[in-house]
Amino acid sequence: MNSTLTGPVATYLAQVRAELSDLPPGELEDVLEDVSGHLTEVAAEFEQELTAAALDERLGSPRQYADELRTAAGYPPRTQQAADRGAGRKALRWGIIACTVGPFLLVVGLVGGSFDTVAFFGLLGLATLFGAAYLGVRALNGQDPRIVLDEPRGAQWAESIRGLVDQLPPNVRRELVTIGQPVWWVARGVVGGGGFFAMFGAGAVTVVGALAGAAVSIWIGRRTQQDRRWLWYVVPLNLVATIAVPLWLAASFVGGSSGLFSSSSYHNDPASNYAVGGLALDGQRIDNIYPFDAQGRQVSVRLYDQNGQPISVQPEDCAAIYGSNVSTEPTSNLFPQPALMKGADSAGDAESCKDTTEAPFVPPPLPASTTPSAGTTATTTPSTKPTPTAPTSTPRPGPTLTISPTR
Amino acid sequence: MDPSQLLKGVLDLAVLAVLRDADGYGYDVLRRLRAAGLEDVADASVYGTLRRLFAAGALTSYVQPSEEGPHRKYYGLNKTGRDLLADSTKTWSHFADTMSGLLHMEAA
Repeated sequence: MNSTLTGPVATYLAQVRAELSDLPPGELEDVLEDVSGHLTEVAAEFEQELTAAALDERLGSPRQYADELRTAAGYPPRTQQAADRGAGRKALRWGIIACTVGPFLLVVGLVGGSFDTVAFFGLLGLATLFGAAYLGVRALNGQDPRIVLDEPRGAQWAESIRGLVDQLPPNVRRELVTIGQPVWWVARGVVGGGGFFAMFGAGAVTVVGALAGAAVSIWIGRRTQQDRRWLWYVVPLNLVATIAVPLWLAASFVGGSSGLFSSSSYHNDPASNYAVGGLALDGQRIDNIYPFDAQGRQVSVRLYDQNGQPISVQPEDCAAIYGSNVSTEPTSNLFPQPALMKGADSAGDAESCKDTTEAPFVPPPLPASTTPSAGTTATTTPSTKPTPTAPTSTPRPGPTLTISPTR
Repeated sequence: MDPSQLLKGVLDLAVLAVLRDADGYGYDVLRRLRAAGLEDVADASVYGTLRRLFAAGALTSYVQPSEEGPHRKYYGLNKTGRDLLADSTKTWSHFADTMSGLLHMEAA
């Protein structure tokens, strides 16, 4: 069997195969080998991009082609009419379960909270999806998957889907198949494979999982074109992917590099550093506060919010960084808090580290002062490294000070 | 009269005839038939005919790699095929003569 066929040719071949599916397997493979060679040659006749419509015009519909072949080859007439009617109904019913219950549970798992929830609903959803799909394929009992279209419900849905597709302009339809399909195959594989491994953490594994997922997804897409029974698995998985891919993209844009699964589990993990509170002004993180009194002298104050709760920041002094001197209050509301003295940390170890509560900037002139003098402020707060871009805000309404439990 | 109707009865013979001198793969057979003037031959029916003749034991089949694409399945006449061709040729000649005689008699 030639496996290099793509696009309309592969689809056409798959449809011819479906029409001849009642033949003994050996003869079916042999004749399809010829047909596949034929289609390859016919495709080569066309100079531009080959379309399904052009193929139909040149060879007749897949059904006509198969009927011609059947008559000329002297194969017995199609036996599908004698097929067990119950098989189609059962196969369709299991297919519907695979398409509804499975994806529903998976989506509940995807959006729902902790790692445990994700794992529980994810596994339950996957089990339901694959179990129902398997039972659906088994219900077919080796018959042509198309028998589900003979069921009233199947025929009705096929009709309405065809109606929707027919509303698209032909060129859009063609683009969707030639460009949209491969893109979709890759996207669902990347999200499926990457998402699965993202649950287990490591970024490198996620990347490998995403690549492997894309490869598997493309392979599955090709297989499905040739053997329509795969649809029982592929349609529900596509439904899941239709929901997961946009969610993933949204989560990637919002949450930076972290994916859907990792970000949702971070939010629910109190031990994670994402959940640690902080002090912020207009979204900018505040590491320390240097109060000055009315005379421009640096003072120490304790800060409280409107509820009497101490306001504190993560300590960034020597003790916090090198873990020495653990007796210090873990989070103090006394400001300014000790911070690393610039330049004193050149050796990068606990011994050479020195703390300072001196402001690393020259405070701006007092609002009352009409003749600002850099000299006076420099003497009150000696600084080794004056920064002219230091906070210029004098106490005035406008910026809002926020304390948020999460970043 | 629709030539494609006539063709149906003699497609076996036509296919055997184009394979007489050289083996060929399906598309090749199709091309030879067209080149010989059987423009209306339907692609799928030629492939079906090849399968039926093969099943009847009149053809051999083997796969050969091709330079520009997938492997090709070649069909060729075996002893049974040659006998069938000789036999069918006689039948056809007899039939064609009879028809010609009939038509000319009518015309005369």
